[in-house]
Amino acid sequence: MALNIGADDLVENPTPRVPVALCLDTSGSMMGDNIRELVKGVNLFYDAIDEDDDAHDAAEVSIVEFNSAVSLIQDFASIERLNRIDAIDATGGTALGEGVNLALDTLEKRKSTYSNAGVLYYQPWLVLMTDGKPNGRPDELERAVHRVTELVAQKKLTVFPIGIGADADMNVLARFSPNRLPLRLQGLSFKEFFEWLSKSVSRVSRSTPGDTVKLDLEGLAGWAEL
Amino acid sequence: MADEGCAALVEQFEQLVARVDGGQIKIELLERLLAKVNMLAERHGRDVQDFASTFLGVAVSGDKFLGAHVGDGVIGYLKDGDLRVISAPDNSEFTNQTTFVTSHGAAGSMRLFRGSLQGVTGFILMSDGAGDSLFNARTRQLAAACEKLIVAVGSAPARLSQNSKHKKQWRKFIDIRVRNATKDDCSIGVFGRSVAS
Repeated sequence: MALNIGADDLVENPTPRVPVALCLDTSGSMMGDNIRELVKGVNLFYDAIDEDDDAHDAAEVSIVEFNSAVSLIQDFASIERLNRIDAIDATGGTALGEGVNLALDTLEKRKSTYSNAGVLYYQPWLVLMTDGKPNGRPDELERAVHRVTELVAQKKLTVFPIGIGADADMNVLARFSPNRLPLRLQGLSFKEFFEWLSKSVSRVSRSTPGDTVKLDLEGLAGWAEL
Repeated sequence: MADEGCAALVEQFEQLVARVDGGQIKIELLERLLAKVNMLAERHGRDVQDFASTFLGVAVSGDKFLGAHVGDGVIGYLKDGDLRVISAPDNSEFTNQTTFVTSHGAAGSMRLFRGSLQGVTGFILMSDGAGDSLFNARTRQLAAACEKLIVAVGSAPARLSQNSKHKKQWRKFIDIRVRNATKDDCSIGVFGRSVAS
């Protein structure tokens, strides 16, 4: 008997997603080169994802900014729906806890959307970048630390805390990351960091059950495998 | 691993299909699979986790079938003309995580099933990679192609030459269409039989 199987006989499942939440400090202390380089880095991240066959189909990125207030400036979207950023205003304080909580809330909503649509996904990533000390509500900061460390302990979240410059409070960042030391960006090496991040997204999006994803850690010493 | 698991199902078929203590059967099957993994790891001087794998198996005898499944992949069958999923992927929350026979909690995750072959035309077993084309992750249903594959196997001649048209068609389907639709490993097993009308 002939094996006559047409396209209609097969299914086309959506590509499993890698949700990446960027939680960015846009307080007044970021004004100047820091914020300009950060914006350039994010756009470079988008470009690198766009150019990578695997990451292009898998990555979905959201951006939460925090200063004295917090806002979702980019909800989760695939690379084709992400708008390049012209500029971000740096102003006000550092409501880091509130920012992380909004990023996590957004992530939870996205995971529900995936589940309802039957879209499979990888362990989400949270990239937290700040150049100072948190000065938002202490209870929000504690809640954020608790939520992140719980998710990390349950292997439901990978967190990358990044300190920008010498004044970043690395002790607070370390509280978000019990398993690996936070990274301090030396100088304005946003470009290198976001290049590394896009390559890492690509590697994860190619992984299958049982794979241990070894990231290219050159230049990012102290970082462990996912 | 596949050979060992299938051997366990076949050698003990009559006993397993009659037993009521499913929990104990799962433990025994896993012990046998783990013994094989341990032996392989020792022989190759590697860690047991290096041989972590999922397992899908179905055995038939007389008018009954039984099967076991640990991890991702899909087992389905064609019964009374309907494609049905017996055992769906166990992917936990994330797509690149699943339960292996070497995982803690593998016994709890194992699906064990048995039933009558009455009205059953055949079974299809697939790894995640093949599932990308043959299993709809949203609706949790098998693709229509699965019925054609089962029927094709059931109606194939009992003896086939190495390069028969039948085998060429299968190679073309698996090597090109199924394999090109995924980045994951592709394995597929099909059992088909003619059912008296």
